[in-house]
Amino acid sequence: MSQMIIYVPRINDGPKDFAKLFNIWTQVNDYEQHVRFDFSRCGFLRPNAVAFLGGLARLVESRNGTVVFDWDSAVNPAVHANLCQNGFAETFGSPFSGWTGNSIPYREDRSKDMNGIMDYLAYNWIGRGWVHVSNRLRDAISERMWEIYDNAFEHSGTEIGVFSCGQYFPHNDTLLLSVVDYGQGIPAKIRTFVGSDPRAQDLPASACLRWAFTRGKSTSTGSVARGLGLDLLKEFVRVNQGTLEVYSNEGYAIIDKDGEAFENRDISFEGTVVHITLRCDEKLYRFKDET
Amino acid sequence: MKINIKENIGPRCIIKEDGQKIYDAIYEVLKRGETVTLDFKDVSQFASPFFNFAIGQLLKDIKEADLRHLLHIENLNETGKMVVERVIENAAKYHGNKDYRKIVDDILAEQAKEAN
Repeated sequence: MSQMIIYVPRINDGPKDFAKLFNIWTQVNDYEQHVRFDFSRCGFLRPNAVAFLGGLARLVESRNGTVVFDWDSAVNPAVHANLCQNGFAETFGSPFSGWTGNSIPYREDRSKDMNGIMDYLAYNWIGRGWVHVSNRLRDAISERMWEIYDNAFEHSGTEIGVFSCGQYFPHNDTLLLSVVDYGQGIPAKIRTFVGSDPRAQDLPASACLRWAFTRGKSTSTGSVARGLGLDLLKEFVRVNQGTLEVYSNEGYAIIDKDGEAFENRDISFEGTVVHITLRCDEKLYRFKDET
Repeated sequence: MKINIKENIGPRCIIKEDGQKIYDAIYEVLKRGETVTLDFKDVSQFASPFFNFAIGQLLKDIKEADLRHLLHIENLNETGKMVVERVIENAAKYHGNKDYRKIVDDILAEQAKEAN
């Protein structure tokens, strides 16, 4: 049985690192059979990579391929520990169970499990105590983050679900969460939505993402007004001086306290990654009436 | 009519399906011109999909002024109130008919504005 071996490189969470992930997607997407992920060349792996690789593995399996993660090849102790601590390794057949630490568990949601996801956000992510927030504020933050999942399930067309992973970094007091889907991608969805217009297929990905983040804009059909979720999320990230990055098809969006930017990139993938970074500064996380 | 949301839906008002349940329960009552009170006591989490379907959808057939007069909301926290206001404002402007050509015009116009 022939097998494609993917050597997972060092992956951080900058644009070049996402490009590495999308390269891996391109290789695997074209192959679709038996894939082995080797970590021997990986000295560093962030949660965005974990969520992405997990979803990619399920994508291969959904097409009747097989995936093996070579745990023995994860010779870098930090990488090995990370893959085990967040439960990723156990999910994919390793005998090592996860444990509580700075990782936010790797999670797969095949369907929209509202209570499961909200518990994950409230108790595994924001509510873990890295930033002291009131219960009310914890809930409010989780509500905003829900919009990411709701968009993925409602609009992406994903057939294999949504994949998440996160981490707390004590050295710079930041909290990350990456949420990945392998649906059609936001620009592709919009181009299909307006497909009766001859200009649809030439709409730049950056312009599509900008539209998607505008209040009231939605590709939902029907009589119910939608299109608030991404705008609410955007508002929350900016107020709390966090960073929201979205990679979808060849488009890239970044929203932070300084504003927003939408770009076209050279490399594309079929799906969406939402990558959120929050600062764990308690002064940022208070309602006006909380002193 | 008064509905205790926690008893009917639970402590989380998040998904559109639950919003639809509330809409289905209150629509005819409101259309008859009767008041409806939604009591959100002990409901701790809210998201826009729920309110889009529970309340925003009412604006298809009920004018905003009438809705604000007939629909009373109790025990909703500040974040919930903010989402409801956003939903009503959004739904009041929504016409339902998708003019795809205009959408493409808007997308390209915004792009051109940013480029200049």
